[in-house]
Amino acid sequence: MTEPSTGNAALRALRAKRKLNRLGEVEWFDAAYKVYVAALFGGIALLWLSDLIGDEPLSDVHAADVLRVGPSLMGLVAAVAVAFGLRSGSQGGPLALEAADVTYVMLAPVDRRRALLRPAVQRLRGAAFAGAVFGGSFGQLAGRRLPGTAIAWFASGALFGVLVGLAWVGAALLAHTTHLPLTAATVIGLALMTWQTVAVATDVPGPADQFGSLALWGWRQHPVDLLAAAVVVAIVTVGLLRVGRTSLEALDRRASLVAQLRFAVTMQDLRTVILLRRQLSHEHTRARPWLRLPGRGGGDPVRRRGWQSLLRLPVGRLVRMVALAAAIGACQVAVLRGTTPLVVISALLSFVLGLEVLEPLSQEVDQPDRTDSFPVERGELMMRHLVAPAVALFPFALIGLAVAVGVLSRLHDAPGLGGSLGVGALVALATAYGGAAGSVVSVVRDAPDPMSTNNQEMFLPPEMAGITTSLRMLIPLVISGIGALSVLLVRATLRGPDPSVVLGTAIRGTVAVVLLCAAVVMWVRKRDAFRRWWRGFVAEGRTQSYQQRSSS
Amino acid sequence: MNSRNTPALALRGLTKTYAAGGSGERPALAPLTLDVAPGQLVALVGHNGSGKTTMLKMVAGLLDPSGGDILVHGHHAGHAEARRAIAYLADQPTFYDDLSLAEHLEYIARLHGVTDWNDRATDLVTRLGLSDRFDQLPGTFSRGLRQKAAIALAFVRPFSLLLVDEPFVGLDSAGKEALLALFADAHADGAALVVATHELGFVSRADRLVALADGEVRYDGAPGDTDVHALVFPT
Repeated sequence: MTEPSTGNAALRALRAKRKLNRLGEVEWFDAAYKVYVAALFGGIALLWLSDLIGDEPLSDVHAADVLRVGPSLMGLVAAVAVAFGLRSGSQGGPLALEAADVTYVMLAPVDRRRALLRPAVQRLRGAAFAGAVFGGSFGQLAGRRLPGTAIAWFASGALFGVLVGLAWVGAALLAHTTHLPLTAATVIGLALMTWQTVAVATDVPGPADQFGSLALWGWRQHPVDLLAAAVVVAIVTVGLLRVGRTSLEALDRRASLVAQLRFAVTMQDLRTVILLRRQLSHEHTRARPWLRLPGRGGGDPVRRRGWQSLLRLPVGRLVRMVALAAAIGACQVAVLRGTTPLVVISALLSFVLGLEVLEPLSQEVDQPDRTDSFPVERGELMMRHLVAPAVALFPFALIGLAVAVGVLSRLHDAPGLGGSLGVGALVALATAYGGAAGSVVSVVRDAPDPMSTNNQEMFLPPEMAGITTSLRMLIPLVISGIGALSVLLVRATLRGPDPSVVLGTAIRGTVAVVLLCAAVVMWVRKRDAFRRWWRGFVAEGRTQSYQQRSSS
Repeated sequence: MNSRNTPALALRGLTKTYAAGGSGERPALAPLTLDVAPGQLVALVGHNGSGKTTMLKMVAGLLDPSGGDILVHGHHAGHAEARRAIAYLADQPTFYDDLSLAEHLEYIARLHGVTDWNDRATDLVTRLGLSDRFDQLPGTFSRGLRQKAAIALAFVRPFSLLLVDEPFVGLDSAGKEALLALFADAHADGAALVVATHELGFVSRADRLVALADGEVRYDGAPGDTDVHALVFPT
């Protein structure tokens, strides 16, 4: 016997049952304790780090710059979020269901809008929460340098973050459910970002100025800014009303990819995360390269293979790399002007930019059997793989420099880089190549170690395994951070008794990064040999100890 | 709309293309026009990549067509009535990690509006040899048991068009017999069946054979009138 109505009641009942099944496995006291500890230590760490950084309040002139440029600059963050949301939506985002939900729920005669409403709300909630955490954290950092209470800045930062998160997911929902073509989404997004960038660079009003102005509510409040919040709410509402039009093809494809992505994140497998992210965003390597390399078989085959790879980078990835370079330039200016924490963001972005440009090396590491079949020592092969990416990184360093110079030209009382563009160029090169050095370590370290087996890691005590895993994650980021630090040396000199020696400081900082890069290249070349030597040394020590014990 | 005159499945100029990097596109299915009558058992054969799974997924509503129309008993694919009519047994079974086989059966039956699901579910798991696994998690089953569980889930709810993709993979002989018997029951009850398979022995049981190659129909007719092996593996 079948009911005339759809299975919405069954959907509700079984979702409740699954929730109960899951909750039944939760140790409530344990969960509450974890939340308590995370909140307590997270809050303390944030406040402690803020105090540690101890940036001084801005002068009136600098504060005037923040009031003038701040809304359009923060509006650019919102414009980027909307642009990325539109692209995500036209590529099948933002929802991801379990594969079984796609097969059984979406193919059943249930009301799809009602069935998808909950995952959509969960997605919005997640984005809003992440936005609140990031926005609140940056807000309270801003409150240390700008007029207004820390609480007010935290609240306004959190509000801005929530709205950015909602705008991103809402734009994605809208683009997906209106079947916005990817080209149209890209054009709209680029137009939005370009207009807003012009607003940052000139006095032309930008489309997201009111949105960005909300981030400054910790200092002053303009009721007209609430229009931006209203627009975001409207976008989200329309997106939710149309959520039933979500494509099942996209849901089916994303279901398996997102499950794999979560597993890869759990396993801290960065390369797999990158590859899955590319699949999620339909990022295909170009079948036809931008330029065909002349001739056949001439020159170093490894270098040639590297250029063949880089000349097939798709438009989306090139745009992302340009955006990363531009963001690094903007962060470096902010650090130069006194917002020290952004040096961490700059380091992270340069690390990601390095990962993008190191695609040929990553591809080699992805194919260890093939690599080992070549009659070339692996270290030498990998070292030769660094040449093409190193050359390809150069224009992105210049883009970062151009953005930094552009932003500085908009500010009153800019330090002027000691009157020399050369200082800026050196800092840009140090940041880009230092960041890429960390990426090289991250990529090469994922290559299989011929001297080691997984069993060795399995027999590590849990405490050591945890430390080892943390170090594996942190070391590349720390190396990338060294490159980004050169701007701090320049800033210290500019604030010191003799700013005229800033070029010398920049040269010293760049030389340090060159030495760091040389050390990384040497490590890539000699990694296997060093490991072989180390294992032999340890084995020899063990043998001697055993012999000594036996003879005594 | 569910009359004997309306085809159970009607494909009208159905096409599918995939992006192939850069600005290129790879066609997976050429314009395909096909009618399947109610109660007809169709064997769908073709080499790997011939378009069988793409076609079935589009009919099930899991892939968006690049062009053309799909009508299920006169309703467009994806419409609630089409979903009510279609049971789709995919080549890769999927399950919830946190529901037992019994809970899966209940869930899916009730999603399709079936209230007296218990007897049907018990009968299915008995026929498929899953009685002692009724309360176990199918997500932890072996390949063959997963396939049997997926078969039970496909048959626990009413349908008038069954789409099946490589159903015999991983099944033992008892499982194959049970599945063939379920096909026969559904056929006898008047459901149309479209079974994509590489098991050429199954073809003789079908009313009609459709062979795909490179996204195009190479043969559409009675199974006994052609050399199936030559169709699937042309020299």
